[in-house]
Amino acid sequence: MSALGELRTLKGGSAPKGRRQNKAAYLFLLPWFLGLAVITIGPMISSLYLSFTKYNLLSPPKFTGLTNIERMIEDERLHHSLLVTFQYVFISVPLQLALALLLAVVLDRGLRGLAIYRSVFYLPSLLGASVAIAVLWRQLFGYDGLVNQVLAWFGIEGQGWISSPDTALGTLMILNVWTFGSPMVIFLAGLRQIPTMYYEAASVDGASRWQQFWRITMPMLTPIIFFNLILQIIGAFQSFTQAFVVSGGTGGPVDSTLFYTLYLYQRGFTSLDMGYASAMAWLLLVIIGAFTALNFWASKYWVFYDDQD
Amino acid sequence: MRGNTRRRVGVLVGLSAATMLALTSCAGSPAAAPEAEQLELSDEPVTLSFTWWGNDTRHAATEEIIAAFEDEHPNITIEPQYTDWAGYWDKLNTSVAAGEIPDIIQMDEKQLSTYAANGVLADLGAYSSILSTEDFPAATLGTGALDGTQYGIPVGVNSYTIIANQTILDQYGIDLPDDESWTWDDFVDVSEEVASASGGATIGTQSWGFEDGGLNNWLRQNGSALYTTDGGIAATEEDLAGWWEFLLEATEGGATPDPAATVERESGGLAESFTATNASAFGPWWSNQVQALRDASGQDLVALRVPGTTDDSAYYKPSMFWSSSAKTEHPAEVATFLDYLANSEDAADLLLAERGVPANEKIREYITPKLDEVNQTVVEFLDSLSVGDAPPATPPGGGVIETIIDQHTTAVLFGEMTPDEAAASFLEELQTALDDAAV
Repeated sequence: MSALGELRTLKGGSAPKGRRQNKAAYLFLLPWFLGLAVITIGPMISSLYLSFTKYNLLSPPKFTGLTNIERMIEDERLHHSLLVTFQYVFISVPLQLALALLLAVVLDRGLRGLAIYRSVFYLPSLLGASVAIAVLWRQLFGYDGLVNQVLAWFGIEGQGWISSPDTALGTLMILNVWTFGSPMVIFLAGLRQIPTMYYEAASVDGASRWQQFWRITMPMLTPIIFFNLILQIIGAFQSFTQAFVVSGGTGGPVDSTLFYTLYLYQRGFTSLDMGYASAMAWLLLVIIGAFTALNFWASKYWVFYDDQD
Repeated sequence: MRGNTRRRVGVLVGLSAATMLALTSCAGSPAAAPEAEQLELSDEPVTLSFTWWGNDTRHAATEEIIAAFEDEHPNITIEPQYTDWAGYWDKLNTSVAAGEIPDIIQMDEKQLSTYAANGVLADLGAYSSILSTEDFPAATLGTGALDGTQYGIPVGVNSYTIIANQTILDQYGIDLPDDESWTWDDFVDVSEEVASASGGATIGTQSWGFEDGGLNNWLRQNGSALYTTDGGIAATEEDLAGWWEFLLEATEGGATPDPAATVERESGGLAESFTATNASAFGPWWSNQVQALRDASGQDLVALRVPGTTDDSAYYKPSMFWSSSAKTEHPAEVATFLDYLANSEDAADLLLAERGVPANEKIREYITPKLDEVNQTVVEFLDSLSVGDAPPATPPGGGVIETIIDQHTTAVLFGEMTPDEAAASFLEELQTALDDAAV
C-alpha cells in the first residue's frame, strides 16, 4: 500500500516539479511509444482499412465496403472456428487457473527448495507456446507416443489422440493447462502480500485451515485471480502455434482444432484473402474486448480490494 | 495505399511491351506473340535475388550452382533466399505485397496462374534472345505457358506413381503386381492381402486423397479432368463422389489404415509416412520422391504405374518452374542466369535429378548416365510411360485445392460427410476460390 501512497503524494505534489517529472517520464516513454506507433498502431490502422477491401497480397487492395462482414455472417467455417475457440478458452483457462492456485498455495507453505519447484513449474509457461513443445505434444499423444505406452501397461489400448476428431482439442487444452506456471508465480506473489496477522487472528479464534483458505486467502486473492483471468483469457483467444503445429496447419482432423486465429491465417495466406482475414482480426479484437469489458463489469460483484474504504 | 498506386502507375509507364501484355492478358485480351526484347547486359555489378523452396540437399546443390555461375559472370551476384515448402508461400506473398519481388522465383504449377494473373511474373518470351528453350519438348514447355505467354520454364518432370516395397512383399510371399494390367480392385485386393498376411502389423497401402495428383489421375482415367482449358472446373459431382466412395470402401475393407493413423502420418510429412518407415507395402507418391523415400526406408522400393492406367491417362507433371519477376531491373542478367539453370551442363552436373528428372531433353540425356541407380530407374519408369497431354493448367485461385481436398477426404474418412456430400461441398468451395481470384 505504501507504493500507492507514494503515487498519491506524487499526484498531489507541487505542480512545477510534477510537470518537470512528467516531461522526463514522457522522454523515457518515447522509444516505447515510437515502437507502438510504428509497429502496432500503424499496421492496425492499415488492417482496419484492409477489412473493407478485397486484397490478395499480390495486387493492390480494392475497396468493397461491407462485403467482408456480410461474408463473415454466412461463413460456416468461421462460426465453427469460433465454437472451437470458445470451448478451448472457457474449459482450459478455468482449469489452468485452478491448478495454478492449488500449486501456489502448496508451495507457499514454505517448502524446502521452493525456488527450485517454482522454476520447474514455471518452465512450461516459457515453453508452452513454442513450436518445440507442440512437436513434443504430437509425439506424446501420437499412436506410438508415451501416453499410449503408459496406457498399455494397464492393458488399455490407446488411440491417436491428436488425430481423432473427438480428442484432438482435448490434448490442446491439456497443453494449455500445463502452462500454469506464469499465473502460479503471480498467485505466489499475491499470497505473500496477504498480511500474516489475519491468519494469526483467525487461528486464535479457532478457524481451521480450510476456513482460513475460504475466508481469508480467497477474498484477499480475488484481485490477483481477476488479473490472471483477464490475462489468460486474452492469451487463450489468441492461441495459434499449438493448433498450427499439431494439426500440420490444417486445423484438422475434420476442423476439430480449427482455432479462430488458425482459420484467419488460412484465409489470409492460403486463400490469399487478406481483406477478409483483416476483418476477422478486427472481429477477434471486438470479441476479446467484449469479454474483457464483461469481466470488468462482473468484477464489481466478486473482486475484493483490501484498500477499499 | 498511395505508395502502391504510385508504384503501379510507375510500373505501367515503365514496363516493356511484353510485360504490358502480361498485365492485360488477365483482363481477357487475346495474347499475341511477344516481340523479343533487346536485352543488354550491364557493365556494372548487378545483384539478383533468387528464391526457392526445398530441403538441405537442394539448398547445398543450388548454392554450388550459384557459385559456379558467379565464377563465370564476375559482375553478377546471386543472393539466395531459401526456405522449406511450408513457409515458402507466406514469405513470397508478403515479399510481393511489400513490393520486393525476388528477381528469380522457383514457382509451383498450382500457383503459377495466380501470380501471373496478378502481374507478378515476367513474360519469359521477352528473354528469348538469351534464354533458349529449344531443347524442351513443346508439350512440357506448354505447362509453363498461360494463354500463349511463357511465365515459367519447367525444371523437372514427375509422374504419379504407386510405390511398392519389394522387401515387404517378399517377406509375406506376395508377388509384385503386374502394373501393365492391374486395376484399382487388384490394388485394393493385394493391399488387403498384405494386411491380413501380416496380421495387421503391416499396412496394405497408405491412404490417398490428400493432394490433387491422385485425383487428377483418377479423373483422367474416367475421361474427365480437374479443370477445363478455359479455367473452369471440369470434374463432376459424380466423378468426385466415385473417388471418395472407392477410398471409403478400401478403408472399410482394411486395405488402408484407420483414419486417425492416416491423419497423424499425413501431418508428419514424408519422413513420418508409412512408406518411409517401412510400415506399408504400397503408397501413392510422385516419382521425384522415390529418392527421398529410399533414403529414409533403406528397403527396396519400386515405382509402379497407377492402377487402371489407360493409354493417355498418365501425364508428366512439371515438378516446378523457373519464373522471373515482372518488375526486375535486370532482365538481361536474369535471362542469363535462367539460361544457365535451364540449359547448362555444368549446372546439371551439380543438380543431377534433385529437382526431378530434367525437362530439358538434351540435359536429361546428358545427365542420365551420371545418376545413381535409384534415379536411373526413375528415368526408365518415366520413359516407359505412355503419357497424354498435360492436364489443363490450374486457374488463378486454384492453389487452395490441397487444403480443400484434405478437408473433404478427412471428413469422408471420419464419416462426417458422405462421398456425395463431400463432392458437392468440394465443388462449391473450389468454385468460390476460383471466383474470388477472378474478380
